[in-house]
Amino acid sequence: MTRHTENGDGADGTDGSHGDGGPNDGDRRGANDAQRCGCGGTDGTPQPNVPEIGRDERPAIFVPDGGDEEGAGAGPSETDGSAAADAPRTATDGGVESATGGSDSTELDPDAYDPIDVFPEGDLDLRDGADSCYKCTSCDTSCPVAEVDDEFPGPKFQGPEQWRLKRKDDHDIDESITSCSNCMRCDDACPSSVPLSQMHNEARGQFVEEQMEKLSLEYVRNRILANYRTSARLASVVPRLSSFAMNFGPARWAMDKVLGIPKEREFPEFATTTFREWWRDRGGAQIENPDKRVAYFHGCYSNYNTPEVGKAMVRVYEHFGYEVMVPPQKCSGTPMFANGMLKDARRHAETNVENLVEAIGDGADVIASCTSCSMSLRQEYPELFDIHGIEDVSDHTFEALEYLRIHEDLDGALAESDGPGDEQSFAYHAPCHARNQGLARQAVETFRDVDGVEMEDVGDSCSGISGTYGWKSEKYEKSMQIGEEMFDHMEDAEGEVGMTECPTCAMQMEHGTGYEIEHPLQLLEETLVA
Amino acid sequence: MDDQVDVVVVGGGSTGCGVIRDLARRGLDAVLVEKGNLTHGTTGRMHGLLHSGGRYAVSDQKSARECIEENRVLRDIAAHCVEETGGMFVKRPEDSEEYFREKLEGCRACDIPAEVIDGEEARRREPYLARDVEKAIVVPDGAVDPFRLCVANAADAREHGARVETHAEVTDVLVEDDAVVGVEIEHDSGPGKRVHREPGTTEEIRARYVVNATGAWAGRIGEMAGVDVEVRPSKGVMTVMNTRQVDTVINRCRPKGDADIVVPHETACILGTTDEEVDDPEDYPEEEWEVDLMIETLSELVPALKDARTLRSFWGVRPLYEPPGTGTDDPTDITRDYFLLDHAERDDLPGMTSIVGGKLTTYRMMAESISDHVCGKLGHDADCDTADVPLPGSEDFSVLRDYMEEFGIRSPIGRRSAQRLGSRTDDVLGGTDPNPVVCECEGVTRAEVRDGIEQAGSDLNAVRLRTRASMGNCQGGFCTHRIASELAQEYPEPVARDAEDELYQERWKGQRHALWGRQLSQAMLNHLLHATTMNRDGDPATTDADVDFGAFDAGVEPGGGGSAGDGSESDDSAAGVTATDGGIDAAESPDATDGGTHGDR
Repeated sequence: MTRHTENGDGADGTDGSHGDGGPNDGDRRGANDAQRCGCGGTDGTPQPNVPEIGRDERPAIFVPDGGDEEGAGAGPSETDGSAAADAPRTATDGGVESATGGSDSTELDPDAYDPIDVFPEGDLDLRDGADSCYKCTSCDTSCPVAEVDDEFPGPKFQGPEQWRLKRKDDHDIDESITSCSNCMRCDDACPSSVPLSQMHNEARGQFVEEQMEKLSLEYVRNRILANYRTSARLASVVPRLSSFAMNFGPARWAMDKVLGIPKEREFPEFATTTFREWWRDRGGAQIENPDKRVAYFHGCYSNYNTPEVGKAMVRVYEHFGYEVMVPPQKCSGTPMFANGMLKDARRHAETNVENLVEAIGDGADVIASCTSCSMSLRQEYPELFDIHGIEDVSDHTFEALEYLRIHEDLDGALAESDGPGDEQSFAYHAPCHARNQGLARQAVETFRDVDGVEMEDVGDSCSGISGTYGWKSEKYEKSMQIGEEMFDHMEDAEGEVGMTECPTCAMQMEHGTGYEIEHPLQLLEETLVA
Repeated sequence: MDDQVDVVVVGGGSTGCGVIRDLARRGLDAVLVEKGNLTHGTTGRMHGLLHSGGRYAVSDQKSARECIEENRVLRDIAAHCVEETGGMFVKRPEDSEEYFREKLEGCRACDIPAEVIDGEEARRREPYLARDVEKAIVVPDGAVDPFRLCVANAADAREHGARVETHAEVTDVLVEDDAVVGVEIEHDSGPGKRVHREPGTTEEIRARYVVNATGAWAGRIGEMAGVDVEVRPSKGVMTVMNTRQVDTVINRCRPKGDADIVVPHETACILGTTDEEVDDPEDYPEEEWEVDLMIETLSELVPALKDARTLRSFWGVRPLYEPPGTGTDDPTDITRDYFLLDHAERDDLPGMTSIVGGKLTTYRMMAESISDHVCGKLGHDADCDTADVPLPGSEDFSVLRDYMEEFGIRSPIGRRSAQRLGSRTDDVLGGTDPNPVVCECEGVTRAEVRDGIEQAGSDLNAVRLRTRASMGNCQGGFCTHRIASELAQEYPEPVARDAEDELYQERWKGQRHALWGRQLSQAMLNHLLHATTMNRDGDPATTDADVDFGAFDAGVEPGGGGSAGDGSESDDSAAGVTATDGGIDAAESPDATDGGTHGDR
C-alpha cells in the first residue's frame, strides 16, 4: 500500500514520485530537499557527513505533539519553515499526527482512496486488512509467543479479528496486545498479505496512548526500555562506570523489584569510544566516490555498545570502494513500536528521515547493520508514518550484507581471499526481522564456500528476546522458553562462537549459551580487509 | 389439545412477535405459530435499518411520523437490539437540489431532527464518503437487529404465559359455521424446541381469534380460510460486506431508486436494495445483476465498496399491500403503510384479521393497533404497555466492564457479547468455565452458544440468529463443527451432524452470490478443509454406506508388511474404531471425535 506523502507534493513536481529511485532522480530530489530543509552541512557538495560534535546531537526538529490540531497542518517539517504550503492533511498515523488523503495521484480523484488512511483523528483504519484474512491460522501457528504463553490469544486475534470487531467510538484494545513481542513472524507466515504487524503496532500504540496508565511502573519501565538510546547516550558519557553500575548486584535487584527488569539479564557493556567518536577521530570517510556512496545507519547499539560492528562496516565498504556517509540519526524506532510508544518513534523518525533523505539526495543508499533497523526503515516507517520522503527512505534502505551481495562480487572476493586467519566455526541464528526481509540465509550462503569458515544455521526458531520483550521480568521466563530451541541447536552446532545480525538476538544467544557472538560484517572484515 | 386459547397468531416475524408480546402482556392466552425460525420470512431478510422516518419524509409523511415516534420508543425498550449509528442523506453533484430541500423540509414537517452539514464535515464523520459528496442531512437513523428484537419479544411473551411454536407450519385454517375457529399446524419435530430427527406431529389449535401476521404469505393463509388477501410481494436484494466501511447509515438523497442505502450492521455493512414485484414470495429469481448493481451504484457514495470483500447476498420480499382499486404499477409507489383487514367486515368471515404492509421500525405500533382490535373483538379490557416496558435483555445494562476479570474473556469479545446479550450478560457468561471462543470472526463464546441451544434446541440456525456465530468472514468454515460439537453434550451424534449440515448449507446459500475475489478463496478453503479433514465431501457416515473400517486400520493383510506396528497389533475393532472413524461412534463416546487426530498420523 503506497501512502502518498502530502497533497502539496504534486506542486513542486520532483518529490511526489515514489519508487523510481534512479540516481539522477535522487539527485534532483535531494537538491530540492536540501533547499527545502535548509539543513546545513552539504549544500549539495559531496562531502562525507562528518558530525560537528562527537555525538549525533542536533537540535530536534520535532515540535512536540500538536497531534490534536488537525487542520492547522502543523506538521513538523513545516514548522521547520521550509515546506511548501501543504493541503490540509486528511488522514493520519499512529495516533500521533495527521497524514494525507493517501491517494497515489496528486489530483483530487474521488476514486483514489487509501482505504486505511482515512481517519482524521489520528488513527489508521485497518479494518480493510481484515478483508484479506481467511482465518487459516498460519499466523497463530508461527507465533513464538503463543507457543509458550497460553494466555496470549495470538496474532490473528490481535490483528484481523480485533480490527473487525471494532466500531467507531465503541471499542477498546485488549491488553494482551502488550504480550506481542513484535517479532513479525506472522507477517512472514500469512499467505494472504494481511498487514498483521501494522495492525499490531497500531493497536499497541492506541492501547498505550488511550488505555495505559501513564504513571504506572509498567509504562515507565517500557518507556525506558523503548528509549534505549536515551539511556545509552547518558551511560556512555561515563561508559566504564555505567557498565559497572548497571550490572551492580543490588542495583539490579532493585530494578527487578521496582521496574520489572529481570535481574538475570546482564546489561551490555558500553564502549569506551562510541562509533561516532571513532568516526570523528579518524576524520570521517577515507574514500570519496560520488558514484558509490552509502549512508550508514548504525543504530544505537553499534554506536554505544558494539562499535566494532560499525567499524567493520566502514572498513568492508571502503574495501569495496564505497564512500561512507554517517548522517545524524536517532533510534530507528524498533523498541518503541514494540512498546506502543509511537509518539517517541515518530519524533525520532523525523530526524532520521530528514537526514537520510538528504543523503539519498547525495546519491547514497541507506545501509543498516542491524536487521531490525533496516526492517523499521523499510516496512514500519511507511506503514505507520507519513513523513515527507519516508517512502524514498524505505525504497533506498538495505541491510549491509544484502547490499554487497547485490552490488559486488562478494563470492569472488571471498574466493580470492585467504580466508580468516584461523579455522573458525560459527553457530548462525537468523533474526526474525532478517527473515521478514528475505535475508535469513544470507550469512550461510555468503560464507559456506569460504575456506576455513564453518557456518551452521541453528534453525528457524525465534531467539525469544525480541528486543525489549525479554527485558521484562514478567516475560523473562517465556523469553527463555522460546529461546530454548535455539540454545539447544547452538550447543549442538560445532562452532563455539555465535553469529547473528541482530544485537538483541546476540544478547540472548550469549545469555543462553555463554558464547561470544559476532556480526557477519566482522567476519567479512577479518576475511577481506585484514 | 381441545382447550380453546384466546388468540392464535400466525407468523413469527416482527409483527407476529410484537403482537404475541402485546397480547400476552394484556393477559390473553395466546399462541404464536411460525413455519420456520423466528424471522424466517421477511423480518430476517432486511437491512436492519431503524428508520428515522427520513426516507419517507417526502413521499409518505404519515409513515415518516410513525417511524420517528417508534424510533424513539425502540431506543428505549430495545436498547440491546439497537445501535444508535445516526444517519445521513448525502447529495452528490448530480442529485437534485430541489429534492434535497424537499427532504429537509419534509423531515422538519414530520418532527424528525435534521441538520445540514457540508461535504467536508460529512467526510470528517465518515471518511470513506466520496470526495464529491456535496452535503448531507443528518437524521437519527439507526441499526436494529431484527433477530434479537423478535427473540426478545417472544421471550417476553413466554414469560407472560404465551406459547411460541416455531417450525410449526399452518396447514389449514379451521372454519366452522362461517367463522374462523383455529388452525391446524404441522410440527416439524413435535411441539417445543426443535430437535432434528424427531418425528413430526399434527396439532389443531382452536382459538377465539386468529391473527394472520404472515406478511408476504398472508394470501396463502387467506386462501386456506377462503378469502382473498391481495398482498403484492416485492423482492429486494441485500449485500453483506465483510467490514464496516461506514459507521453511520448512508442514504442517497434522491427521490427513489435502487441501491441507495448502506447500513452498518454489527461487524458488517449491508447494502440495499432493489424493489421488484414477484409472484411467489418463496420462488423468485435471485439474479447476479442485482448484486452488481448494489456494489456499483453504492460505490458512487462510498468508493471503497468497490474493492471491499463481499460476504454474501440475500433477498427479502416486502409484504406490500394496496387497497383494491388503487392500480399502482410500480411497486416503489405502493404505500409502506400497514392495513388491518378485518375479514368479518370485509368478507363476512368473523374470527380472523390479517395485518399487511408496514415495516419493522413500526412493528410495535402495528402490534398495538391489532392487539387493540383483537381485545375489542374479544371484549377484553386491558391497556397496552409495550411502549414503556423494556424487552428482556434491554433492562439497564452497560457494556463497559472488565470482562477478563469477570468472565475470563478478552475485552473486544466481552464487549460484543454484552451488546448482544444486554442485561442477560451476567447470567449467560457467568456460568460456563472454561469458556473458549467458538466463533472467532464474531467473537462468540461457548457460553453464548450453549445459551442459544438451550433456547432453540438443535436448530443451529436459530442459535446463529441469537449469537451471530458463523456470520463472519469464514461464513462457518472454521466454526460450524465447533458449534455442532456443543450440541453433542445433549444430543446424539446424528442430530448434531444434521444440525451442522443444515447450518453449513445455510451459510453456503448466501455465499453463492459472492463468489469472486477473497470470498471465493474463503469458500474454496472452507470446502477443502471440510472435505479433507472431515470427509464432508462424501462422508460414509452420511451416505449409510457400509465401510470396512478394519481395512483402514490393519491394511489388506492383517499383520502384513505396510502398516507395521500399532496397526497390526490392534486387531480388535474397538481400538480401531476410536482411532480412525472421526466420530462415528460418538453416541457411545462423545470424545470419539478426537480419534480424528490419531487417524491423521
